[in-house]
Amino acid sequence: MTIDRARFDQGLTYDAYKAQMTRNRDRLEENERRVDLGKEALAAFRALPRPVKVVVLAEDWCGDVIANLPVLGRLAKDSGKLDVRIFLRDQNDDIMQQYLNKGQFKSIPVFVFLDEDFRELGHWIERPASVTEVRAKRRKEIFAAHPEFGSPDAPVDQLSEGIRVRLQGELAKMRDETTKFANAEVVRELREIATRVAA
Amino acid sequence: MTAAHKVKITYCAECGYEQQTLDLAKALMLEFGSRLSGIELIPWEGGTFDVSVDGQLIHSMTRDGGFPKHAAIADAVRGRLSA
Repeated sequence: MTIDRARFDQGLTYDAYKAQMTRNRDRLEENERRVDLGKEALAAFRALPRPVKVVVLAEDWCGDVIANLPVLGRLAKDSGKLDVRIFLRDQNDDIMQQYLNKGQFKSIPVFVFLDEDFRELGHWIERPASVTEVRAKRRKEIFAAHPEFGSPDAPVDQLSEGIRVRLQGELAKMRDETTKFANAEVVRELREIATRVAA
Repeated sequence: MTAAHKVKITYCAECGYEQQTLDLAKALMLEFGSRLSGIELIPWEGGTFDVSVDGQLIHSMTRDGGFPKHAAIADAVRGRLSA
């Protein structure tokens, strides 16, 4: 279905979404505090000729939502140019079906940018490909540096609990170290879509 | 002496797979009871949903796609119990 004014208004504001979260709100808000939008990118959002509407599909258990929704939330708050409405994926399958990742996966978050007449400017799904690529490379490096972790393709249940916990720690550290790059990539890609709005 | 048979379910804890994990664990508990020495649930990441029986990978979301049919996992367990 097409998203019109009535449907858009049914979505949750960013603050209302946070208020209904049953888990991971602390992680989401920590990411919100940490994200550095960059002066130049923020200026580009502030300079948008008209406010842009953003329809979001999200769920509070999803790691990519916890990582990337706060970037959008900060962009909206700090620029004053994005009107965000959030829909829970599992209660809004009609919207989800329009934005399946690779035409088959219900990946989230989904950000759909709309002009004031609800015409789509573009949409964004899950995370930047560049982030997936960098993290896959770093993951391989972790396994190469730690033979005790075994093969990166082997089932993790073959590892002892102690090794598994150490691997989990290394992966968490790697994600933390690549967060700045990841956030910058999200901002870059969202800027590219939002600035399509006509003057 | 009776051999110990164990099922391990590794699920992506950041993908909302808890319900599928619990459903499968419950199905195995109800069907096999104490004939299994354990059912281990391993929270992981990266879209994982792997099920192994006695160390043999029976289903992998990455390899096989989607969630496993409970019957396929139960068949694998039965195979181990009768081996």
